[in-house]
Amino acid sequence: MIQLLASKPFKILNIKIIVLILIISIFLTLPLWSSEYIISVFVLIFLYMSLGQMWNLLAGYTGLVSLGQQIFIGLGGYSLAVITVLYQLPIALGIIVGGVISILFALIISQPIFKMRGDYFTIGTWIVAECLAVFFSVWTYVRGGLGFNIIAAYKLSTTDIYYMAVAMGLGSIALVYFLLRTKIGLALMAMRDNESAAETLGVELYKTKLKVFLIAAFVTGLTGGLLYLSIAYIQPRASFSITWTVAMVFIVIIGGIGTIEGPILGAFFFILIKQYLYNYPGISMIILGTVAILTILIAPKGIVGTLQERYGFEILSIRRR
Amino acid sequence: MATVLDVQDIGISFGNNHVLKSLSLELKESEVLGVIGPNGAGKTVMLNILTGIMRPTKGQILFQGENITNLSTTERCRKGIGRTFQVPRPFEKMTVFENILVGSVYGDRKSEKEARVKALEIMELIGLTEKKGWFAGKLGLLDRKRLEIGRALASNPKVLLFDEVAGGLTESEVSDILGMVRMVKEQGISVIWIEHVLKTMREGTDRVLCIAEGRNVICGIPEEVMRSKEVHDVYLGADEE
Repeated sequence: MIQLLASKPFKILNIKIIVLILIISIFLTLPLWSSEYIISVFVLIFLYMSLGQMWNLLAGYTGLVSLGQQIFIGLGGYSLAVITVLYQLPIALGIIVGGVISILFALIISQPIFKMRGDYFTIGTWIVAECLAVFFSVWTYVRGGLGFNIIAAYKLSTTDIYYMAVAMGLGSIALVYFLLRTKIGLALMAMRDNESAAETLGVELYKTKLKVFLIAAFVTGLTGGLLYLSIAYIQPRASFSITWTVAMVFIVIIGGIGTIEGPILGAFFFILIKQYLYNYPGISMIILGTVAILTILIAPKGIVGTLQERYGFEILSIRRR
Repeated sequence: MATVLDVQDIGISFGNNHVLKSLSLELKESEVLGVIGPNGAGKTVMLNILTGIMRPTKGQILFQGENITNLSTTERCRKGIGRTFQVPRPFEKMTVFENILVGSVYGDRKSEKEARVKALEIMELIGLTEKKGWFAGKLGLLDRKRLEIGRALASNPKVLLFDEVAGGLTESEVSDILGMVRMVKEQGISVIWIEHVLKTMREGTDRVLCIAEGRNVICGIPEEVMRSKEVHDVYLGADEE
C-alpha cells in the first residue's frame, strides 16, 4: 500500500489535487483580501469561462460552430429583467427561468437549424439571434428598445455576484469534465474526429448533437442572467449582439479548442487584455483580432492545445485508461 | 448455410448518372465474399448503400430475412452490419483503446464496464495491446487498418464490410490482413470484401463477385471467376494471360 502511494502516478495525482485545492481556496477567499475592482474583474473571468466552456463543447467536441449563442445570453438577461422588474420576484427565480426558456427556445429552433450543415448552420444561428434582437426592439412587453434597468441587481454586493460567478464558472468546468467522461463524451469525441465513422459504429449523431445544444443553451442562459446581474441594465441590441459570441470564439481559439483547460486560460487572457485596453476602445478590437490571428498562425491548436501536443500536458484528463 | 444478407436488384442514380444499375448478391453465414471490378464499377457505392449512408433508388436489402432498406446507418450497425473505410478513418485524437470502446459501447450497446473487457480482448485479437494508449492519429497504415477492423468487431457484427482493407500494404502486411480476415470468419462473421489485391481474393475468399458498370458480371469460386472471359474483358484486360 505504501509502495502504491509512493508510486509516480500517485505522486502526480496528489500534486494535482493539492494544486487544485490551493487554486479553489484562493478563489473562494478572494473577496476577503482583494479590492472590489479585482473582484469585479474575476466576476467577468468566471462568467466568460462558463461561456467559453459551452461554446467549446459545441464547436470543439460536437462540430456545431454556432455564431448565435448570444440568443441565450439575451434570453437569460431578459428573463431576469422581466421576473425581477415586472413581477418583483426573486433574482434566483429569474436566473433559473432564463435557463429554462433558453432550453425551450433551443429545442424549438433545433428542428430547422439542425437541417442546416456546416457554414449554413453557423449563419442560421446568427440570423436567429438578429431576428430576436429586432423582435425584442419592438416588443412592448419588454419595453422595446428602451430595455430594463435591473434594479434588483443593486440589492446584491459585488461579493455576492462574485460567488455566483465562481459557482457558474467552476460548475461549467465540472459539467463538461463529467459529461466527457460519460457515454455521451465518448460519442462526442468520436464525432469530433470523424462523424461518418462514428455513425457507422452506432453513434446517433442527431440525438447527441441535440443533447449538447440543449445543455449549452441552458448553461449559457444561466450565465446570461448572471452577466446582466452584474451589468444591471439590458436592452435588445446589446444583449443579442454577436459581440458575445465573438468573445467566446476568441477565448476558445486562444486557449485551445477541444480542450477543457483551453477556455479557462482563454477567459483569463480575454478579460485581462480587455481590461488593460479599456481606455483604448478604438484599438482594443484591432489588438484582440491581431492576437487571435497570431495565435492561429503560431499555435493553431491554441495555447493549451499546443502544449498538450508537444508535452502531453493535461490537467483535467478525460482519457479512459 | 442460411443466408444472412440478401441484396435484391438494388440501383442508385444521381440525376442521369446511373451509378448502380442492377446489383444482386447473397451472403451466407460465415462466408467471405470477395467483390472485384474496375474503378467506377460501383463497389464502394454498394457498401455505402449496405451501411445506409446512401439510399437505393430501387431494389431492397434483406438482413436475416428483415427488410432493412429504409433503416438508418446507426440502426443497421446495431442490427449487426459493420464496416471499414477505403481510407481508414480512425478517431485520431482518441487512443486505440477508446476507439474500440466506441464500437462496443454504441454498436454493441454494452455498459462502459463491460465494453472495457471486450475492448481488451479485441486489442489482443488484432495485435494492438501494446499500443493501447497510443493516439490513433500516430498509428501507421497497417495498424490503422487493424484498428478499423477491431473497432468494427467491437460492435458485435454479423456481417462485416471491408473496403480495400489490403490496399497500400506490403506483401507481408497483406498476409497479416489475410490472417485477420480468417480470424473474423472463424468467429462466424460473414464478410463482403472489396479488393484490388487479387492474391487476397484468391486466398481469402469463398466466392468472388465481379461487378462492372453497376451490374453483376459473374459470381463463383475465386479461381473460376479469375479465369473467366467475362472478368478478363471487363477488369483484368484481354492480354492478362
